[in-house]
Amino acid sequence: MPEYPNPHQDELAELALKRVVASGAEYGDIRLLDSTTQTIRGEDRRIASIREAQDSGFGIRVLYHGAWGFAASSVLSLEEAPRVAELAIEIAKGSASLASEKVKLADEPVHRDRVVTARRIDPFAVALENKSALLLDTMEYVHRQPGIVRSSASLWARRDRKLFVSTEGSRLEFDLIALSGDFDATAVHDGRFASRSFNTPHLRMGYELIEDARFLAEAPRVASEAVEKVKAPTTEPGLYDLVLDPEHLSLTMHESCGHPSELDRALGYEANYAGTSFLTTEKRGTFRYGSPHVSLVADNCEPGTLAATGYDDDGVACQQWDIVRDGIFVGYCTNREVAQKIGAIRSHGSNRADSWGSVPIVRIANIGLEPGAATLDGLFADVRRGIYIEGHGSYSIDQRRYNFQFGGDAFWLIENGKRTHMVRDVVYHGITPEFWGSCDGVADRSHRRRYGFITCGKGQPSQSGWMTHAASHARFRSVNVIGGQAGS
Amino acid sequence: MSTTGHKTWPKLASPDEFRFLADLVLKHSTGDHTLVSLHDQQSGTTRFANNQIVQNVDTRRGSLSVTVAFGRRHGTAATTDFTAGAVQETVTRATQIAHLSPEDPEYLPPVEPQPYLTLPTTRAETSAAGPARRLEYTNEAIGQCRMENLGAAGIVSSSIATVGVSASTGLFAHEERTDARFSLTAQAGEATGWSAAAHRSIDHLRVQERTLAAIDKAKRGLEVRELPPGPYTVILEPAAVAGLWSSLLWTLDAKSYEKGTSAFSGKLGQSIVDKRLTLRNLPAHEDLLGIGFTTDGLPTMASDWITEGRLTQLAYDRFTAKERGIDKIPTLDAPCLSGKGPSLPTLQELIKSTERAILVTNFWYIRTVNPTDLTLTGMTRDGTFLVENGAIVSAVKNFRFHESPLQVFNRIAAFTNPVEAITSETGKLLVPAMMLHDFHFSSVTRF
Repeated sequence: MPEYPNPHQDELAELALKRVVASGAEYGDIRLLDSTTQTIRGEDRRIASIREAQDSGFGIRVLYHGAWGFAASSVLSLEEAPRVAELAIEIAKGSASLASEKVKLADEPVHRDRVVTARRIDPFAVALENKSALLLDTMEYVHRQPGIVRSSASLWARRDRKLFVSTEGSRLEFDLIALSGDFDATAVHDGRFASRSFNTPHLRMGYELIEDARFLAEAPRVASEAVEKVKAPTTEPGLYDLVLDPEHLSLTMHESCGHPSELDRALGYEANYAGTSFLTTEKRGTFRYGSPHVSLVADNCEPGTLAATGYDDDGVACQQWDIVRDGIFVGYCTNREVAQKIGAIRSHGSNRADSWGSVPIVRIANIGLEPGAATLDGLFADVRRGIYIEGHGSYSIDQRRYNFQFGGDAFWLIENGKRTHMVRDVVYHGITPEFWGSCDGVADRSHRRRYGFITCGKGQPSQSGWMTHAASHARFRSVNVIGGQAGS
Repeated sequence: MSTTGHKTWPKLASPDEFRFLADLVLKHSTGDHTLVSLHDQQSGTTRFANNQIVQNVDTRRGSLSVTVAFGRRHGTAATTDFTAGAVQETVTRATQIAHLSPEDPEYLPPVEPQPYLTLPTTRAETSAAGPARRLEYTNEAIGQCRMENLGAAGIVSSSIATVGVSASTGLFAHEERTDARFSLTAQAGEATGWSAAAHRSIDHLRVQERTLAAIDKAKRGLEVRELPPGPYTVILEPAAVAGLWSSLLWTLDAKSYEKGTSAFSGKLGQSIVDKRLTLRNLPAHEDLLGIGFTTDGLPTMASDWITEGRLTQLAYDRFTAKERGIDKIPTLDAPCLSGKGPSLPTLQELIKSTERAILVTNFWYIRTVNPTDLTLTGMTRDGTFLVENGAIVSAVKNFRFHESPLQVFNRIAAFTNPVEAITSETGKLLVPAMMLHDFHFSSVTRF
């Protein structure tokens, strides 16, 4: 794989940005991106597909008289670049005709840099037959468990080689890798079926992530727990103390803290689709979001995490900042456009696009729950009647991120301080600040794990956002657990 | 700004150009079987919020996918680069992957040449539409909202795509597809009203009518009352019906059915919803977004899926269909749900006939809670009202529901004729508005 897929990339960028500058636009940038995505998908003890997709193109963003235009093309030629630039300018002029409030960008120093994902083993250099064999063996192990009727297993890897150039003088090159793997087992019993899943974190690192995940060692446990889950007794609705594992919390944090902390949502940009936010701007600095145990920190600098790309798609350097500190809401995820609307002098650098063909929008940062001082046993010890939840299940939340409902992948009853047997049909419901207000303990850093998402939907046309959420186990008191059946 | 579309863009791949690309692939492939797929699209979206444009984008993306098979070993590679060298590299990569792949017991060679219906998948007015036309509609929606002192957030989008499938079996299909969309959330402080449309023709979006509908809902939401959770008679507008039915349609796959991992397992031929309901696929319907062929190159077709409440069809993959001896695989690209017997002509008539009910404009974030009985959850959104004695009397705070479509669609009190419906989370369907008894709202949110 050549290091620079397009030998004319600088010439192409220069041609495009010359047109932008000549138009009188106050700002413009170009992103040239070459993505390679390899997906191996197994299903029921067979490899259903192996696909490798090359996706190359460029997108040009123009800010003209305070209004945006964007055009993009997969035709990477020196003739196409100025043509696409002209279209982006024309579109920006159209936007300007309806602009009542002009866009102003928060200042950012000029950056010239190259960012490369650290990797021990290049995932694209690992033999395909070894990857397929791993998935086939994993599914075979899963099916050795009596009661298992279905399985799936997959590996996913992506390499993004990107060049960002702006009219302000920034020039940034990226060579980024991300990968993940997963498998699941589905069991049938007494007319019901249930699945148990295993997921590696989505992280920016090499194939060592997959090797360290030990699929074959985990497969028998996952299969056994699928069978235990489908046979488990149902749960009585009522108030329970919950102990949530880091993988489960990654989704809870994502939906109930990550999205409401996106400033573009709070300002109404997503009102027609993803929704707005209950964390409106006047609440910043005073609103009690959670208990004093809850500190949620955005960290786009932590190596290996999905949003730690060095710079965002505004060309802003990645940063670390507080979203919630000791239970108080204090900060937003921002880009250069919306940051100045709340008086910030600099963007937090959370503006990302999912491809060359998409315009960057504010995305959730790597928001994580700051570790506490408890041990996992200590969290269980004070629970008389509770439920321990691992992994992701059903989830749903209103468009302002108040009213949510989460399931999980596996549930165990906690009785008198001890985790006992599995139960099923656990769905808990809450109102975001009340739920986080009920947190009375977070495990220490030794329990911290990182899980990520590559399918966070937002924007029209819809884009997939990538971010990693780290947490240690945490305990929540008296949460409303409702039944998993209709009408309950 | 020109109003006649994109004169500056390179043309999308025509049938002849796709045949040239496909022949290039087939000439270089050494596989036993080769399948080539094309998706070449020019799309644009003007997005607005707070009464001004916040995004205005136009993207041209062409993609060519090649699957090469040796016996039952197969591999796929794709590229966005249509130059001869890149296409040949893509064939080479697909070939390498196929050689390194294990045998797939479910692999089937590409289908033989197929007869296809000629469907109204493209409209000239949409392919000619560009940023200027989208700006015109955006201006109209924002202007109407401004006149009412409301905020407007929404999109106007249009696209044209050429889609093709070709194979070493002689299979060849190529089709042009246009798509135009409009959706608007009108905001009156905390209150919101929503409306949306999608059509092959940009002329059929009815922007003014839908804008006024969203404005009316937002204005009615200014005074809102909170009702307790519990079972209610509901009137679901078509978008809300579409949300529940889409969740049902996505789980009709035959493989899950046969493995016992489907809510429908054992129910083929049995009654699953009210016997007045029939679900058909109507790819030739001009108000649906039917397509001429699938990604496998199979022809789409009109077909019955639920007949008078009975489940009569499953969604088959090619392998499972072959195992069951099914030659023609029914598709579900253009669903139409209709009711038999007395129906009311419009939503307004349905409201007039109602003593007391909750009127739901739309659902949001519908997710499966229990896949065994298809229990779903989700929130009402952008217009939830109390109807009493034939009229809307107030807005109500949004509810979370906890229901299975397999139960609630057996509790139908009344329905209208089917009309167009689309949401941000569903494809387009034709469905009636419906009144349902004992619809279970499990909690209330803060707005």
